[in-house]
Amino acid sequence: MSASLDRSAPGPLLVVDDLHTGFQTERGLVRAVDGVSFTLERGRSLGVVGESGSGKTILSRSIMGLLPGRNLVRSGSVRFEGVDITHFSPKQMRGIWGKEMAMVFQDPMSSLNPLMRIGNQVSEPLRVHLGMPDKLAMATAEKLLRDVGISEAQRRLRQYPHELSGGMRQRVMIAIALACGPTMLFADEPTTALDVTVQAQILALINDQRRDRNMSLILVTHDLGVVAGHTDEIAVMYAGRLVEQAPTRTLFTQMKMPYTQALMESIPKLDQPSHTRLRTIPGRPPDLVNPPRGCPFAPRCAFARDRCREERPELIDATSPGHRFACWYPVGSPEYLETKQRIDAADAAGSAA
Amino acid sequence: MRYALSRLLQFLFVFIVVTFVVLAISRIGSDAPARDLAGGAVSQQQIDEVTQRYHLDQPLVVQYAYWLKGFVTFDMGYSYIQSQDVGDMFRQRLPVTLFIGFWATLIGLIIAVPGGVYSAYRRDGWSDKAMSFGSFAMLSLPALVLGVILSYLLSVRFVLFPLIGNYVAPWDDPWQHFRNFFLPSITLGVGLGAIWTRILRTDMIVTLQSDYIMLARAKGMSPRRVLWVHALRGSVLSLLTSVAINIGALIGGAVVVEEIFSLPGVGLRLVESVQTNDLLTLQAIAAAFVVAVVVINFIVDLLYAVVDPRIRHVRALA
Amino acid sequence: MTVTIDLEQAIAEEATTRRRRRRPGSLGAWLGAAWLLLIGGMAVFADYLPFVRGYAQQVPYARNFAVHPGSDFWFGSDQLGRDVFARCIYGARVSLLVAISSILVGLTVGGVLGLAAGYFRGKTDRGVSIVADCLLAFPPVVIAILIVGRLDALSETGFSVLWWHPTRTWSVVIVLSLLSIAPITRIVRAQTLSLSQREFVVAARSIGANRRRILLREILPNLVPAMISVAFTGIAILLVAEGTLAFLGYSVKVPTPTWGYLINESRPKLRDAWWPTIFPCLMLFLTVVSFNLIGDRIARHFDVKEAAL
Repeated sequence: MSASLDRSAPGPLLVVDDLHTGFQTERGLVRAVDGVSFTLERGRSLGVVGESGSGKTILSRSIMGLLPGRNLVRSGSVRFEGVDITHFSPKQMRGIWGKEMAMVFQDPMSSLNPLMRIGNQVSEPLRVHLGMPDKLAMATAEKLLRDVGISEAQRRLRQYPHELSGGMRQRVMIAIALACGPTMLFADEPTTALDVTVQAQILALINDQRRDRNMSLILVTHDLGVVAGHTDEIAVMYAGRLVEQAPTRTLFTQMKMPYTQALMESIPKLDQPSHTRLRTIPGRPPDLVNPPRGCPFAPRCAFARDRCREERPELIDATSPGHRFACWYPVGSPEYLETKQRIDAADAAGSAA
Repeated sequence: MRYALSRLLQFLFVFIVVTFVVLAISRIGSDAPARDLAGGAVSQQQIDEVTQRYHLDQPLVVQYAYWLKGFVTFDMGYSYIQSQDVGDMFRQRLPVTLFIGFWATLIGLIIAVPGGVYSAYRRDGWSDKAMSFGSFAMLSLPALVLGVILSYLLSVRFVLFPLIGNYVAPWDDPWQHFRNFFLPSITLGVGLGAIWTRILRTDMIVTLQSDYIMLARAKGMSPRRVLWVHALRGSVLSLLTSVAINIGALIGGAVVVEEIFSLPGVGLRLVESVQTNDLLTLQAIAAAFVVAVVVINFIVDLLYAVVDPRIRHVRALA
Repeated sequence: MTVTIDLEQAIAEEATTRRRRRRPGSLGAWLGAAWLLLIGGMAVFADYLPFVRGYAQQVPYARNFAVHPGSDFWFGSDQLGRDVFARCIYGARVSLLVAISSILVGLTVGGVLGLAAGYFRGKTDRGVSIVADCLLAFPPVVIAILIVGRLDALSETGFSVLWWHPTRTWSVVIVLSLLSIAPITRIVRAQTLSLSQREFVVAARSIGANRRRILLREILPNLVPAMISVAFTGIAILLVAEGTLAFLGYSVKVPTPTWGYLINESRPKLRDAWWPTIFPCLMLFLTVVSFNLIGDRIARHFDVKEAAL
C-alpha cells in the first residue's frame, strides 16, 4: 500500500497523540518519550527545547519513524496529513521519508557521504522518489543549491563534501531535505556544530525556505536562543514529557512552569553586570527507567511542595490562547510567590554575610 | 602526480633491494656457481663459457647489474639443467599460474562481496552466524589440506576432474580449461573469499553505523540502495588493502596448488629448480614473483586515490 | 544548563555492552584450548604413552595399508606398516616446536621494531617501514623454498659456525621467523601509534615522565593483549606455512616427519588408502582452527583492531 497522503486534507498537518517511545535495556524499559501529545498546523514552526536527555531528539525521530526496531517499544499514534502512520511498514515509510517528511541532522560533516559527489547526493531523492531523468535532476539540484545560498552552484555539484566549509555543508543538507518539496521538516540541532556567525544564517535560511514553501517545521534544540527568534511556538520537554507549550512570545513573557523559568534564567544576558554568577539548575535529570512518582522536575525545583512529589501534574490550559503547562504551583500563583519571597530573603542574607 | 612519482621511487628501491637479496641468496651454498649453473659435471670449457656469459667472476654487485639488465629486457639466460631458455619457459608456463591467480581472485570476490555485505546487514542473524562459522572454517583450512581433500574426493573417489592437470587455454577449449582449472581455483578462491568476507563484514558494520547512512535512510532510500550504493563505497578500501596484502599468499598458494594438481605452471617449475639446483631459473622465477608483489602493491596504492577522493585531496597537497 | 549524559549515547552504549556480553564465541575458544591441550600433551609425553607406538616402528602384518582405522591402529597403518596415529602425534612435536619458536622470534624482533617505529616516529619510522616493506615484498612460500634450499646446499658443503650447522630444523625456524617479523612490526607499529596519541600517554608526559618510563610503563603493558592475540593467530598461520613447506619437501624430515610430510608421503597411494593422508590433514586443520579460535577470542576480548596479517 503506497502512502497515499492527501496534501489538501483539511485539519492540522501533524497530530501526535500520547506518543510513548521506550527502549528495552538490561536495567528495564527506558522511557525516552513518556506520553507526548501536540498538533502542528500547516506552515507553522514548533521549537522543541530541552536539556540533553530530555527526549527531544528521540521524539523527532520517533515521529518520523527512524528509530531502529530492536528493543523499541512504541505506543500512541502519529497522524500525518490525516493518515495514521504509526504502524506503517518500512516500505511505506520510505515513501514518505525524503518526499513528504524530511530531516536535517546535526553534524553535516559526518552526515554527508564523503565518497559521493554533492550533485549526486542532492539529486538522489529527485531521481529515486520523483523518477526524474538524470539531466533534469542535476539541473534541479543546481537550482536547489542556489536556493540555499551556495555560490558557484554548478562547480559545487561536482565537488565532494570535504571540499566545502561547515556552513556550506549544512546548506547542502538543507537542500537535500527540501529537494522533493516536503510538507514537514525536522531540524535536529541543525546549528550546534556550526560557528555562531553561521548559525544565524542557517536559521534564517531554514525559515525563509519554510515560508516560501509553506512547510511546517519542528526545530529541536537545547538552545533557547535559537528558538527565540525563529519559531512560532515552543514546546519545553523534560524527562520525556511536554511540560509547557506556548506561542513563542507568550512563553518568554508569561512562562508558567518553574523549569522554563529556570532555563531562561540560566542564559547569560549581555546586559547583566560583569561577574554576575551564572545560574544553574542544580541536580540531574531523572532516571528514565524508574521515573519519580510526581512531577519529574520536583527533585530539582526550588518551588516544589509535597503535592508536586506525590501527584503528577497534567497539562492544563493557561489563560492565554495556545498555552499549556503542567505544574501545580506555576509562576505567579500564591504558593509560588510565597516561596519566592523566602528565597529572595535568603539570597539577600547570604550576599550580605 | 608528485605523490605517484615518490611512491614509484620507493617501490623501485624496494624492487632493487629485494631482487638483489634474491640473487645473493641464490648464491648461498654454492661454492662454484659456474659449475652449478652449467648443470653439474660438465667440461671445463662449458664452465668457462658460463662464467663468461653470466659474469660470474665479477663481484656480486656487478653480476646483479647484468642480471637486472637481462631481466628487464626479458633475457634471462638459458637453463642448462632444463635445456630450455628461461624466457621460453615463462612464456609457456606463466599463463597457467596467471589463470589460477585470476580465477581464484574472482571466486574469492564472488564469495566475499555478497557474503560480507549481507552478513553485515543481517548482523547477528542466523545467516550471519552461519556465514561467520563457514568463513572461519575456510580460513583455518589451509589450501594444502583443502586441495588434497578435494583432489581425493573429486579426482580419485568420484572421477569428475583430472588428477593430473594440463594447460588448456580457455579460448581453445573452454570445457577442458574449466575441468583443469576448477579445482585449483576453488581451493585457493575459497580461502581468499573467507578472509575477504570477514574483512568486508567488519568494515561494513562500522560503515553502516555512520551518520551518512542514517541520512540515506532518512532520504527514503531502499535498503538495497543504501547497502550497495552508499555503504559499499566506504568499505572497498579495506578490501583493496587486503587484496594487496594477500598477493604473497596467493602466489604461495599457487605453488602448492600446482603441486597438488600437477599443473605445469611457474610455481611448479620453481620447486623443481630448487631441487635441481637450477640457479638461473630459480632466480628468475623468484624475482618475477617478487616483482608481481611489488607492482600490485604499487597499483593498489595508486588506486586508493581513485576510490577515495579525500585521499586524492591529501596527496595533492603533500 | 547542567551537564548531563546524552541519552541517546547512553542507550547506544548500553545496547553495545549488552550485545558484547551476549556475544558467542567463547565456546569455540574453549574447545580449541581443549584440543590444544590434548594434542600438546600427547606430543610432549608421546614416549611414555602406552597407546602410542614408535613412529618408525614397522609392524609386519600392517604393511601395505593392511590395517584400516580401527581398534588396533586408530588411524590405520601406512605403506610400511607404521602406525599413522603415532606418526601424527610425533609429527605434532616438530610442527608445534618450529611454529612456536618462530613466532617468539618474530614477536621479539618485530615487537621491538614496531615499538620503536610507532613511538619515536620520524626517521626511525621511515627506516623501519622501508625494511618492513622490503620484507613484505617477498612472497612467503617462494622465499621459504629459496632459503631452505640454499641452506641445504650450504650444509652439504659442511659449513658451520662454531658448533652450529644448518639443519633443516634451523632453516625452517630461520625462514619462518624472518617471514613473521614484518607483519608483526606493522601491527605493533599501528598499535603503538594509536596508543601514543591516547590521553594517558600525554598525561604521563605532562608530569615529566621520561621516554623510557613511558615506553615501559604505559605503552608496553597495553600492547601485551594485542601481541598475545597475534601470537596465537600467528602460530596458526605458521603451522600452515610449515605444512606447506613440508608438503613441498622443504621442512624437517629427521627424525620425525611433520604433518605436511605425512600428507605428501602417502598421496600417490591415495586411491588405495585414504587414511594416511586424510588423518594428518585433519590434525593440521583442527590444530590451526584451535589456534585461530583462541587468537580471535583474545582479540575480541581486548578489542584489538584487526590488522590483516
